[in-house]
Order: sequence, then C-alpha cells, then structure tokens
Amino acid sequence: MAKHPLQFLEVPRRDPDKESVEDRVRHFGEIYGSYDGASAAAQAGRCLDCGNPYCEWQCPVHNYIPNWLKLIEEGRLFEAAELSHQTNSLPEICGRVCPQDRLCEGACTLHDANGAVTIGSIEKYITDEAVKLGWRPDMSHVVDTGKTVGIVGAGPAGLAAADVLARNGIRSVVYDAYPEIGGLLTYGIPPFKLEKQVVRHRRELLEGMGVRFVLNTRIGTDKSFDELLDEYDAVFLGMGTYSSVSGGFAGEDLPGVCEALPYLIGNVYRELGHDETDVPYIDLAGANVVVLGGGDTGMDCNRTAIRQGAASVTCAYRRDEANMPGSRREVANSREEGVRFMFNWQPLEILGDENGVTGVRLIETRLGSAGPDGRRRPEPVPDTEEILPADAVVIAFGFRPSPPGWFAGAGVETLDSGKVRVAALGKFPFQTTNPKIFAGGDMVRGSDLVVTAVHEGREAAKGIARFLGV
Amino acid sequence: MTERIANNLVDPAFDRDSCGFGLIANLDDLPSHWVIQTAIAALTRLTHRGAVDADGKTGDGCGLLIKFPETFLRAIGSELGFTLNERFAAGTVFLSQDVKVAAAAREAIAAAVAGTGLEVLGWRAVPINPDACGARALATLPRIEQLFVNAPDGMPRGRFNRRLFLARRRAEKEITDNATYIASLSSVTISYKGMVMPAALTQFYPDLKDPRMESSVCVFHQRFSTNTLPEWRLAQPFRFLAHNGEINTIQGNRNWAVARAKNFVSDKLDDISDLDPIISLTGSDSSSLDNMLEVLRAGGMDVIQAMRILMPPAWQTVDNIDPDVRAFYEFYDCQQEPWDGPAGIVLTDGRYAACCLDRNGLRPARYVITNDRHLTVASEVGVYDYDEKDVVSKGRLGPGEMLAVDLVNGVLLDTDDIHDILKTRAPYKKWLKKGVRYLDSLLVDTRMAAEPMEADELASFQKMFNLSREEINEVIAVLAKAEMEAVGSMGDDTPMAVLSGKIRSPFDYFRQQFAQVTNPPIDSLRERIVMSLQTNIGGESNLFDIGPRHAEQVIINSPVLSQAKLRQLLSPEMFADSHTFIHLNVDENRSLPEALDDICAAAEQGVRDGKLLVMLSDRYIERGKLPVHALLATGAVHHHLVRKGLRCDANIIVETGVARDSHHFACLIGYGATAVYPYLVYQSLFDVARRGNVSKQRELGRSYRRGIRKGLFKVMSKMGISSISSYRGAQLFEIVGLHDEIVERCFSGTTSRIQGAGFDDLLGDQRTLAAAAWDPREQISQGGLYRYVHGGEYHCYNPDVISTLQAAVRSGDYDRYMEYARLVNERPVATLRDLMKLKPAGKPIPLDEVESIEDILPRFDSAGMSLGALSPEAHEALAIAMNRMGGRSNSGEGGEDPSRYGTERMSKIKQVASGRFGVTAEYLVSAEVIQIKIAQGAKPGEGGQLPGHKVNEMIAKLRYAKPGVGLISPPPHHDIYSIEDLAQLIFDLKQVNPQALVSVKLVAEPGVGTIAAGVVKAYADLITISGYDGGTGASPLSSVKYAGSPWELGLSETHQVLRSQDMRHRVRLQTDGGLKTGLDVVKAAMLGAESFGFGTGPMVALGCKYLRICHLNNCATGVATQNNVLRSEYFIGLPEMVINFFRFIAEEVRHILAELGVQRLEDLIGRVDLLEPQRGVTERQSRLDLSRILSADGLQKDAPQFCTDLRNAPFDKGELAEQMVAATLPAIEAKTGGRFEFDVRNFNRSIGARLAGEIARRHGNRGMRDAPLDIVLRGTAGQSFGAWNIDGLNLTLTGDANDYVGKGMVGGSIVVRPPDDAGYIARETAIIGNTCLYGATGGQLFAAGRAGERFGVRNSGANAVVEGAGDHCCEYMTDGVIVVLGSTGVNFGAGMTGGFAYVLDLERDFVDRYNHELIDIHRITPESMEAHLHHLRSLIVAHVEATGSQWADTILEDYRTFLPKFWVVKPKAAELGSLIESLRRAA
Repeated sequence: MAKHPLQFLEVPRRDPDKESVEDRVRHFGEIYGSYDGASAAAQAGRCLDCGNPYCEWQCPVHNYIPNWLKLIEEGRLFEAAELSHQTNSLPEICGRVCPQDRLCEGACTLHDANGAVTIGSIEKYITDEAVKLGWRPDMSHVVDTGKTVGIVGAGPAGLAAADVLARNGIRSVVYDAYPEIGGLLTYGIPPFKLEKQVVRHRRELLEGMGVRFVLNTRIGTDKSFDELLDEYDAVFLGMGTYSSVSGGFAGEDLPGVCEALPYLIGNVYRELGHDETDVPYIDLAGANVVVLGGGDTGMDCNRTAIRQGAASVTCAYRRDEANMPGSRREVANSREEGVRFMFNWQPLEILGDENGVTGVRLIETRLGSAGPDGRRRPEPVPDTEEILPADAVVIAFGFRPSPPGWFAGAGVETLDSGKVRVAALGKFPFQTTNPKIFAGGDMVRGSDLVVTAVHEGREAAKGIARFLGV
Repeated sequence: MTERIANNLVDPAFDRDSCGFGLIANLDDLPSHWVIQTAIAALTRLTHRGAVDADGKTGDGCGLLIKFPETFLRAIGSELGFTLNERFAAGTVFLSQDVKVAAAAREAIAAAVAGTGLEVLGWRAVPINPDACGARALATLPRIEQLFVNAPDGMPRGRFNRRLFLARRRAEKEITDNATYIASLSSVTISYKGMVMPAALTQFYPDLKDPRMESSVCVFHQRFSTNTLPEWRLAQPFRFLAHNGEINTIQGNRNWAVARAKNFVSDKLDDISDLDPIISLTGSDSSSLDNMLEVLRAGGMDVIQAMRILMPPAWQTVDNIDPDVRAFYEFYDCQQEPWDGPAGIVLTDGRYAACCLDRNGLRPARYVITNDRHLTVASEVGVYDYDEKDVVSKGRLGPGEMLAVDLVNGVLLDTDDIHDILKTRAPYKKWLKKGVRYLDSLLVDTRMAAEPMEADELASFQKMFNLSREEINEVIAVLAKAEMEAVGSMGDDTPMAVLSGKIRSPFDYFRQQFAQVTNPPIDSLRERIVMSLQTNIGGESNLFDIGPRHAEQVIINSPVLSQAKLRQLLSPEMFADSHTFIHLNVDENRSLPEALDDICAAAEQGVRDGKLLVMLSDRYIERGKLPVHALLATGAVHHHLVRKGLRCDANIIVETGVARDSHHFACLIGYGATAVYPYLVYQSLFDVARRGNVSKQRELGRSYRRGIRKGLFKVMSKMGISSISSYRGAQLFEIVGLHDEIVERCFSGTTSRIQGAGFDDLLGDQRTLAAAAWDPREQISQGGLYRYVHGGEYHCYNPDVISTLQAAVRSGDYDRYMEYARLVNERPVATLRDLMKLKPAGKPIPLDEVESIEDILPRFDSAGMSLGALSPEAHEALAIAMNRMGGRSNSGEGGEDPSRYGTERMSKIKQVASGRFGVTAEYLVSAEVIQIKIAQGAKPGEGGQLPGHKVNEMIAKLRYAKPGVGLISPPPHHDIYSIEDLAQLIFDLKQVNPQALVSVKLVAEPGVGTIAAGVVKAYADLITISGYDGGTGASPLSSVKYAGSPWELGLSETHQVLRSQDMRHRVRLQTDGGLKTGLDVVKAAMLGAESFGFGTGPMVALGCKYLRICHLNNCATGVATQNNVLRSEYFIGLPEMVINFFRFIAEEVRHILAELGVQRLEDLIGRVDLLEPQRGVTERQSRLDLSRILSADGLQKDAPQFCTDLRNAPFDKGELAEQMVAATLPAIEAKTGGRFEFDVRNFNRSIGARLAGEIARRHGNRGMRDAPLDIVLRGTAGQSFGAWNIDGLNLTLTGDANDYVGKGMVGGSIVVRPPDDAGYIARETAIIGNTCLYGATGGQLFAAGRAGERFGVRNSGANAVVEGAGDHCCEYMTDGVIVVLGSTGVNFGAGMTGGFAYVLDLERDFVDRYNHELIDIHRITPESMEAHLHHLRSLIVAHVEATGSQWADTILEDYRTFLPKFWVVKPKAAELGSLIESLRRAA
C-alpha cells in the first residue's frame, strides 16, 4: 500500500558491502558486511510480494520469505526474527552459506528483471541484528514434557533437531566429537564465509533454550551408544558424511595430494587455536595448487589456498560453468580472488613421485546426453590431453557417509551407499529401522546443503515429538 | 409454477421475465371502448419488448387488466340468464381441458365463494379463437371461463371484495391441479390475458372487440420470459398490477412476509390465518408482490399507501426531503423492508390507476396526457398515434416517483400530492420522536478492545477460529488501514471449500449471487444516494393498527457494531433486561444438530419470555467445548423462529470471532442477523497495532468498520439491492458443497445442488482447530488461501505448474508440455471436473484417424483482456498468435488502435463492456464477433476502474480520455437493466454490423442457464459461461473469493436448459475459467461447450508468472503493465509461445479422442454419459453428488447438442432501416451526401445505426465528414435513436425519442425538436428518454426538451444541449461538454473525471443536486471567464439554430441576466482556466 510498486526498478539490487580483494585475501574473516536498518528495509522493499512466491517454493525449508521481507521493510525486526525461526533453526547461518542464487534468489521473479532481492543477506541481517538488540527465541509457552532425546552430532541437522525439540518441551543433549558445535559449519566451512563467532552465538541461543552440549565426545569411543539409548527416550543421529569420494585415478595418494575436508578442518583448527595433534595444518603457501571439483567445497578450498598464500590456484571441473553445482556467487568470489578456472576438463591422473606432486593430466570434455540425475554427462574429447603443472592437489569430489560400527548392534540399517535407511512415508518421518532412533541430514540423503540438513533435522524432530506422544 | 421434474440443473424457480407495460386511464373515470382499443394498439407497439417464438405467433404472454366493464358484463350475464344484483363480480378462470378436473375445480371455487356468504350465479365459457395461438401455446391452451358472483344486497363494495379475495385464496389452497388458475375475481377489475402476440389479442378474445366493452382504465403488459414453455398463468397483469423489471429482494421479502404473517391482523380481514402462506412463495416475483399488495389492501390500506410502503423512494440519503414525508417512510421502515426493484409498476384497483418506479428508477415510464383527459403511461413514448397538438403534457417518471389517477375525484396526483396525502394520516414524526432512539457514534471507540487479550489467549482464539496470519495482514489490517478491501489480481485458483484438503471456513461454501442481464447491479460508490445500511432494532407490530408503539425502535447506522455500541445496546437504558444471551460454545461431545437444538430452544424461550434481542456469542471459548459456527447458529435460529412464528418479535445479534471480511458479515446478515460484533477482529487489530508501528491505532477499528460497510454495500449492490433491511434474511447465496442436512436445517431455501460436507465434517474441522487452539506449541497458521504458501492451500497455478508450462512453450517440446499436463491433470482434486473421469465411447482408434490440430484450433479464443490491463506488446502478441492459428483474440474493454484493423494484429472479437471505452461504429464493423461482457469471473456484478496512473497517452487515445485521468467501468451496462434491454443492445449491434456474430459473456451462478435462454431469445449468436476461477483483472479479494460458481455447474445448467427449451441449436456455447489442458477441453465439451476461452494460460505462455500484482502496474514480466522499462526490457513473450500452448492442447485433445475412440471433438459435445463421477479422496468430497451436473434426464435424446444455425436473426427485420439504406447507399458509396426524409414510430428502433455501419465500413469514423447525409425524420423514434452515430450522418427528428439516444455516438449530429404546433411547454417536457449519449465519444446532440436519467453517462467527447435532465446526469463522464438549460435530478456528475458542463440553476438548488466527490462548480463571471461566457453562448446559439428552441432563444435574448444563474461544473482535478483550452486542442 504505502509501498512504492516500482521500488525494484528504482532501487537496484545491492549486496552488503564486500571487502576489497586485496584486503580480504589477507585474512580469514567474512568478506561481506552487514546492512543497516535503512538499507535492509530498502532492499527488502524491492520484493514484489508475488502471488506465487517462487523464493519460498524453492527454499528447502520453505521460509516465509516475502512475509519477513515485508516485516523488515516495516522495521518490525523482532517479528521478522520470530517468523524466520518458524521455518528455519539456523537462519543467520543459511543466510550466509546457502547457494541463494540456485535457490530463493535464483527463483526470485526479479532474478530476470533488475536483480533478485538480496534474500540471503536480509536473512542474515534479521537474526544478527535482532540478537544484537536482545531478541531471544520466545520459549515462554513451552511446557517441559519430561522427555529427553540424545543427539549425536552438533552439525546443522542435530542443531535443527535440538531447536525444534526444545520448542516442543523436549530436552535434548547434543554430543559431538569436536571441541565446538557446528560440525561442518564450524570446521568445514571456512571462516571467510561463516565466522565462527556466529556459530557460538547460535550455541548461546540454543543453550538459552535449554539444549545441552557434550563436546569432545565421540559416541562409540568416549561413550557407548547403548548407554545413550538407555539414557534417552529417543535418539537422533546427525553425523554427516565425512568419507571423501575419490576420483579413482592414479596418483591420488601421492604426497602433496590432500582431501578437501582434512585440508579445510586443519585450517580452521589453526584459526581457532585448537590443539593440532590429530588434525594437522596443511600449508599451501607458495604452492601452485590445483583444486579438482566444482562444488562449494571446491570453492572453499580454492579460497582457503589463496588466503594461505598459494602461488597459484587452478580449479578444474569436468562440466561447463553453467553446470557447476557450486554457488555462482562463490565462483565469482573465487575468480575475483585470483583463482583460475578450467571448465570442461576432466582429471585422468595426478603426476609426481615420492617427493611430491608435479602435475595433473587432464582431458578436455564436452557435454553429452543427460544421465539418470538429469544432468548432462561430460564426455572426453579424444586427443586433447594436457598436463597442468602443480605442487599440490586438493580433491573435492564430495563425501560419502561413514557409518560407524555400532549401527549394526543398534539395529540401524543402511543402504548399500552407506546412507541410513529411514521411513520414507512411514508414520514418523526420519525414523530408522530402530523405532527409537531417528536420523537426518547428510548421513541420510548424502552430502548436500546445510539448509537441507536443517530441514531434515527439523522434520525428524517433529517425528520424534510425535513418536514420544508429545 | 412448474416443479423441477428431472434430476438435473433445469429449475423453473430461476425463470425471469421482463417486458413492456403501460396503462391508459380516463381522468374522470368515464368508460369507453376507445380505452380498450387504444390499450391494445399500444401493447401491439411494444411487441419488440416481448419475445416471439420461432413460429411468429407464440409470445411469452400479454394481457389486460380492465376496470370492471360493468355494462358489458351485466349484458352478458343477463344473456346467460343470471340475475345480477346491483353489485356483482366476475372472475376470469383458467381451467383444465380435462372435463373432470375442470368440473372439480369449478365446484371447489364455487364452494369457496359460497362459503364466504356470496351467491354464485354460474359460469360463462369465454369465447376464444384458438387460431390466434401458435402451436406451442395451443398445446397448453386452458379452458377459459368466467364466474359470476352476486353480492348480497347492501353489502358494501369493500367487504364484498375482501370476501372474494378470501374465497379465491381458499379455493387456491383447495385446488391442487396444475391447470386451474384464477386470473381475477373481483367486482372492480377483470383480466384478459394469454399466450398470444399483442396483435392477436382481440382475435383471441372477441369480447375485447365488443363495443359494449367499455372501461375507464386499462393496464396492459407484454412479457419477455427467459423460458419458452408457454405458461398461460404467468401472463400479466395480475390482480392489481403489471410489473416491468425484477424484484431483487424477493427472497427476503417472501421470507419476511411469512415471518410476519401473524402481525397482519385486521378487523376487516375476517380470518387471515388460513392464508398460509400469505403470499405465494413460488412463481414470479411480480405475483408475490401482487399478493402482498392484495393483503395490505384487504387489511384496509389503500393502494397508493401500500405501494409507497412496499417500494419507497431513497428517503434515507436525500437531504432535502420534507421531514413529515421522511417520518412516514421511517415509521413504516421499522415494520416493512422495501421490495427493491428494478421495477416499474402499473396498477389499478378500480379506485386508483397508478404507476410507480422503485428508488433506482431503472425502468422507463413515459406519460402523455391529452386534452381529452386521458393519461397514457408506458415503457415508451409514442405508443399510439395521438396528435402532438392535443398533448397537454408529456413526461417521465423519475426514480422513486409515483403518478396516480384518483378516479373518484377525477384528479391526477403526482409524487408530491401523494406524499401530502400520506404524511398527514398519522402523527408519524411525533411517534418517532418519542419512540426512536439512535445509537450514535459520538463515543469513538478509542481502545478498540477495552479488555485486550494477552498474546497467548489471542493466539488461542485465532487458532480456534482459523484466523491465519495471511488473513490478518492481507484482509483485516488492510481494511483497517485503507478503509477498503484489498485488491488482488488473477482470480481464484484454489479449490472450492468442499474440495479442499484444508480446513476452510464454512463461509467459504457460500457464493454471493449477483445480478446479470435480468436485473442490474448498482454502483454503490457513485450511486451511494440510493444505498442504506440503517438498521432497526426492536419488535414489530400489526401494520393495520398503527400507533406510537410501532416507533419504539433503536436505530443504528450500520449493522457492524463497535464495542461501544454493543455496550450501549446492552446498557440498562436499552436492552440490558431484554436480551437473552446464548453461548455458542457447547460441550464437545454434543453433535452439531444437538447443539443447534439447544441453541434454538434457548432462543425460542428467550423470545417467548419477551426478550427483544437474541444474542449469539462465541466469545467465551474453553477447553472441552467447541464453538458452533456463528453462521450455522444464526441460520438455524432464524429459521426456527420463522417456523415458530416468533421471528418478528426479536432481533439476532451475533458476537463472533468468525466474522472478518465483508462476505462474512453479508452471510450472517443474509441469514437473519440484525447486527454483528466482530470482537476477534478488534482484538487482532489491537495486537497488530501493539506490535507494529501503526500510528493511527485509535482509528483502526473505525476504519475497519468503514471498510466493511463499503464491502457490504458492494455485496448488496451486486444483487441490485439498496437497503440492508431488504438484504437481511434474503439468503442471496448459492451453497456449493454442503450436505442437505445442513442446508435444510440452517439455510433452508438456498440453492444447493451438489451436496457435500455434513455436520460431522464441520464438527471434525472444529475439533482439529480446537486441538491446535489449546496447544501452545502450535503457531497460528500462515495461511495460503490468497497466495501460494508451502503446506497451505493447493493452487492450480502454483510455481511448478507455471515453470513447467513456460519451459514447454519456450522449447516447443510436446514431451515437456506433457510434464505440465500431468502436473495439472493429476493434481489433488481442485475442481469439480477433477472428480469426473472419462469413459471411452468405443475402442481406441489410431491417432491419425482423429481430426487434425488445425480442425480443433478454431474452437479456441483468448478471453477478453484489455489493452490497459495488458501491455501493448502482450496484447498484440496474443492477437497475432490467435490469428495465425485460426482462433480469435478478444480486444477486451478499451478499444483498439485502428492501425491494427485488417492486419494480423487485429482482435477478431471486439468487446463491448459497461464503460463502452473506444466503442465506435468503425470499431464495431471491424469485428467478426462482438462480445457483450455482462460479467467477468473475477468480480461478477461489479464494475472496474483503471487508475489514472495506468492511463498513458496511448490508452487515453484509444479510450477517448485524457492521460492520467482514472476511468470507471460501471457495474451495470446502463443500457441493460433487463432482458429486453439486452435484446435492444444486441439489435443495435446487429444494425451497425449485420455481418458480425453477437456474443454475450455471463458468469456461472444458479439460474445462468435460464438467463442464457433469455439471451438466446434476445438473439445472441454466442454465449460464454465463465467460471468463478476465471478472471485476470484486478478485483477486491472478497469478490475474487466469494462470487461466481464453477463453470461445470453453469455450463451444464445452460446446456441442459437450452436443450430442454429446444434452443441449443440456435447458439454457440463457450466456457472459460481456468482451462489448462486438453483434458479440461474434452471435459468442457462433454458438459456442453463447443468453444473454449483461455485467459491465464496464454498469458503464462507469454511470460506471466502469476504474480497477482497486475493492478499495481509493476508487472516484472512486462505482461500486465504500461511501464515502458518493464515492457521493453522484461517482456519476453512471442506469438509462437502462445501458438505452442494451443497446439499442445489441441494435440493432447487428439490423443484423448483417439483413446476414447472418437474422431471429432464435435462428437463429444454434451456427452455427459462419457463422464463418470469419481469418489473423492476426503470424506466430504465423497459425499458430493454430481448427478445433476452429469444428467440428461428429462431431455429429448435427439435434441441438438450444439449449434447448427448459422446465426440467430432478430424477429424485427428493421424494415425502416433497410429502406433508409436502400435510399442512401448510392450517396454513401459515392460520398455525395444529401437530404432524405422518413417517418418514424416507436417500434422503429436503432434508427441511424444501420447507416452508421455502412458508412464506417466504407469510410471509417471520419471519412464522410465533408459530405454528410441529412436524415430528416418525423414522429416518435424507437429506442437507440442515433446509436453509434458517426461523422457524415446528421439526424434531425421532429417529435420525440425514447431511451438511449446517441448511444456510442462518435460524430455527426442528432437533433430532436418538438413539432411547431405542440400543445405543451417544450422545456418542461421529456423529449428523449434515459441513458442518452451512453459511451459517446464525439458528435453533437441538441434536444429541445428534457432528457431522462443518466444523460451523458460515460460520455467521453460528445457535446450536447438539453433543457433539463433527470438523475445522475454526466455520470462517469470523461470528456465532452454538456449544457443543461434547466433543472437536473440528483447526483449530478457522480464519477465524472473529465469534460465539463454548464447547468442553468433557476431554482438555486443545484448545490444539493450534484455529487461532491469528484467535481466542483463555479459561477461564470464576465470578468474572469470571458472564454466560458462565449463558449456557452455559442453552444446555445447552435441549439437555437438546430432546434428552434424558444426557451434557448429567451435565454439568449437576456443572456446577461441568465448568465449568473449558470454553473460551470468540472472535475476537481481539472484546472478551470484550461477547460476551453483543452477543447481547442482536442478539436
């Protein structure tokens, strides 16, 4: 009403200020600034308030995006925070790490007209700012049901489950092997995308809601799973996927070749000042680095290497740019920071000897017909092989679940892929083959986005609540 | 009335009729045979207002009501050997042809008459000549007899007639056969009527030729019915009156008459109790009104008082009404709600002969008084050939006016005379002053909610009553902030409530009824003057024994209560001790019927204890109890009290959480609530204010009520109802999806045709809601009814559907289309057709045996979407696509750039909508099909508005308006207030373009089939039935959601009715509304359509993403915007995408045909036997009964299933117009012009249009300008004189003209002047009728006399001079200059956004007569307004030159004296100094 209908034309899309390349590559801090109230309102006001909110439709947790944009436009920050938390347990984190250009912002009607609404940045703004001003999740109506749930894994799925359970009056205790909560949020995602202070704030919120964290505790080692099963009315497993997918070509075990996760985690350990005994720091300063893989993890490796001071970083990917799974924003950021991309190149072999890597042999590809997943498959073009010199190679082809040994004893079945089998359309969503045990996130669906893990954690928690008769 | 005989949708209860009517009376009560003869002659000249069967002989009925021709009847009686007393009566009776049945009926009637102590003399077989009848009429011809009855000596006439009345009513109750009908039985009047053409009336009844047949008064009537089944009894006049129009409020009036029966007590009426029901509850609205009048008269009221009470003028809103007259109306308003028209009534009871119009004055009534002291009133002027020099005066009745002849005193009474008589009959003003208390709003309710709920408590209420966040923000908060309803676009794509998988409000099962064709909606905004929400609270008493107690009433200005008003009502001074408080929250273990029993019993007890208020409240929810929905409770209590005869002793006040939008209030009031207190809205608004930065917190409640009041006006006006008291209890809804157990219990009498949810389903819903309400972890719902929300209501155009469709049409890949088609065809049940499965007609056949895509494509049209709504790029892309593929695109309302005519960018369908924007002769002759848009799916019964910011240079040019000026499309077509008016418009269009087919677009609602039948009889060639879900235009949300029915119902009903009446072969039937796939097309064909309209689908193909923001002009896809950036940079649509869309659909149709084993789509039309109802998924879906939709019961198997006639040619061949063409064509072709003379009569209609078309076809709108035809005419012109007049055509008429002069004129001139020897004063005399210059865009009109109502309505360029005008002059005008050299009616310049006017205000009361909203008025001062001074003079000079007007000459003679008495009237937005300047620019 009061709103100006052509605001989306007159106010261009503007992300929060981004630090200049030369400054930002010198440290690991976040590169994006934050909106102030006025700019958040102006950007939120660009929303057309479509009859078909394509953003919400595309969002895995179906955030009420137009609704909280409107609240921000009207300056109703706390209501926006409350609404934002109705569908998402970690909105400020999703606002930072979601590939919005493939989800909400990519679907935004304005994506084709003068630029999508900056949904991610506003989502981030809402919770950051509200918490700063003292907002806390409203738990005043929650009545303790006396039920308790043990959660294995303090990653996005586990945290989301803990959040929903708490709001349903169910106490939960979250166990994690790492010294801090967050799982990959803390250790996998580099701090230039997600500063660890954000996760710590979230921990405070969750603890304020009554969630308890037991860290540095590996289930099966530090505490037996049976013990856990006995102690709690139900258990939720949100342990993620940690086994790297290998390329299946020669040279993957040469010195100088590393997997993405150990590389990234080692880097975070150093940043956080953790004890590096078990998780060594891999230093690529001065090296000519080749990153294999075109997902967000690949981008994280690229940019971590840049910040470590690599002499050069080249990212090779077997499909074209349009078919990359990673967020376009992260590709752009990588490129800005000096990463060289080689699209339509597929690695055949890593070259080198016991002294280390010397290069990667690649072959050019073109896209053939679509595979079963609907994506077009790359096909090698004969006689196009080339050798790319390298001092270090980071392999970022994705991750598989790593089911622990105690699954069998607990009656938790897995599929051949190692993913946990859960009730697809059963009475309680995300119930495993052991009725008392629920699971969600990457270990169920394979490695995927943070937001899908959040979604599954939330849905599983609702299933648990119903299972417990709450 | 015939009963519904088959299990289908054909229902005689929906029949409507309309007509031409009139009366002739001798002012001195001198009987003559001349009166009879002349009446019949006049009736014959109104033949075109009736309908004619194909045989040319069977009409819909006509007849006469004659003041008792005593000489004749005494002579006849004597001939038969009856001994007639000094006082005797005779009655005309229709009897069965079956001898036994007839004998039994005779006996019963005679017994009833004898039972009242009167002497039955015997029966006379009335001589008739069956040769006068057509075959269809002959088939049902009754035996017609007259009964003679003697009054005992000395019995006064009054008592005699009351006895006869009782005898007749008792006999009617006694006799059960369908044939017997007592047309009249009285000593003061007798009727002669039948199913013949007026011209054959005397042939049929030789009595009428008998010179002894003499009378002083004859009322006559010619009927136009929507059905074709000859029903002799339905011919009019009735016992007292004949009616032209429709009683919109009939349902409520009937219900209240029944409820009120015990209050009709009169010592004169011996015993009325056996008259149950006191008026007929079936049959026509007119016959019920006749009954009511009869009851009031029998109770001792005279007809003039009775008619004024039943059909009062708009007294509430008129400021300068005589206080005593106002008191009279206010007094009776406490006892009797109005019978609202549109109605013109002529009547006689032997004591008076009278004519009156309802408050809206939507029917024409012209009168002529000749020097032989005869008054003639009729629908038209010029109905017999009087000599103009013998005319003493001529005129017309205005809205709410009455004209009566007092036959005893030999005087003519006009409205004021009648008021003077009535107001002094009792001390009304004194009684009112003593009795009435007003609840006024001095106490602004500052806090909205005196005891605000805590957040938790509020959330419980919101969840309990299913109030979503969406509804709070999009509905309630908008009302409270903007004081009006939120607007949305793109129609409703959600399932009807009964089909939904979500919990929907019981209100959602109700669809508002709306007026189309047979009656007009009202413009409640611009014609606010006729609208009233005044609500009386108090008991009712005997109408025949009036006194001060009748005035003991509390009056509030609106039925929407604030907390302060509710408290006032319940204060000790008011009803603290006189109300019974009934909790609607009942034990959760009670079933709904049990709960309703408790509630009804409590209400009954309360009323029996003398409580005046029954207060139903769900305010106190608690665990373990469930609220009974307030609508169920209100309806149940209302009907319970009616059945117990207690209804009029109490008022129902509802305190509820369920009433939120205007529809909710309308439902509650429509089912009997007097007033509603929406506490949950106030609490929620309080909360909104508490949370947000709402500055006007204290006014939110008041603003919300204003918004609801506007909404209520809109809902009422949609049905053409002016007064809330007539709406109350009128049940003007269709129920879609409730089981009969609910309908019969709570909403008895409401149309409900497919069953559905039962009490247990609704109770289950409430249980679920209650569970959430008491669970603090449950959030209030996000909503999803208005727009897609994940997990919310299903939307047929959800993002998946849009995305897949766009991918398909862009790729041109049929497989991708099938992805889309599967998404649609396999969706969750969302429409009625989703519950119908196809059955094969035979073995599958190979695809190549099926007709080709090209054969199917011509059946596809795009729906009317105007340029203005769409960007020019989208509009043209659509036209190109439709033309290339062999379909037709529809221009929509708003004209078309002439540069598109004759190219592939042209729209073959040209729309004529109520705004008439851009409708000119040239536009019309460029059409293959001319579509009259009566209603549109998104907002049937409502008008539209193109906001000024959307009117750019191009739009303004095409619409003949000024850029930046808002344009209004009125709710009604101002030339269609009834079915014969539509016939007239169709005739106009066929005159201007004889080659075009005329199409009429209707929206599905109960009775649409019957209306369609009437439309066929009005000679339409095509009919479109739109579903509720269609509609791409902007519309208030409550209109989007709650009006219109599914097309499955409307289409099937139409197909069935047309087949049952043997009319299907005369018209092509199209349906539109949410058609998306080939499967939809096939199902629509099986339900009766042969052509298919698509609106949204092709838009989506062109890039529309269904954003529902069309009304904001910011469409980011460039489809629905005029913004240059958006159009040029973001519009990506290509004609190929639309062609792909339609080719895909046709291809899918082919695949389905192959599977079904059918070669051609044509073979499936009407094949309901190939549709099989499916059991639904939910309980309530499975309770649906679609058998009436899928029925071919009672229909002849061989009745055609589709149109086989090439065109539907009018009965009236327009002979004079053809002569004129023959005479002038050479001059037109050679462009030489010339002078031609003709005589005209009132039955020569649309004179000029035929020539305008011929000229436009050859030379365009302007091409003949320099070589004009001068057509000189003499006599009375029929309706639509000079319609679509263009440059090169100058009409000069000496005489007078009827309605619609200069309709759609774009150029040339029209002059109407009285004959030189006229015996009346021209400037006081009506010379042209109503609604002249409607939609004119240029040209000039000079009329030396007064014009009727709505002169210059929607004028956008014509200049005119008249010497007086009726109400609503210059309404919606956007350009042009109107000079009125005399008084005007009220509401001058309502909705006037452009142009200007000069008004001569001799009485100095114009200030009270103009509508202050948009215009202001200025004096012409010689110093500062030199230009206006000269401009006005030049117009008056031109008027004198054209007409020879003496009055104008007088003004010019003394111009300086008259000048200060003129006003310049202009839109507020226009600069005074620039008016003339802009005229020059335009010229």
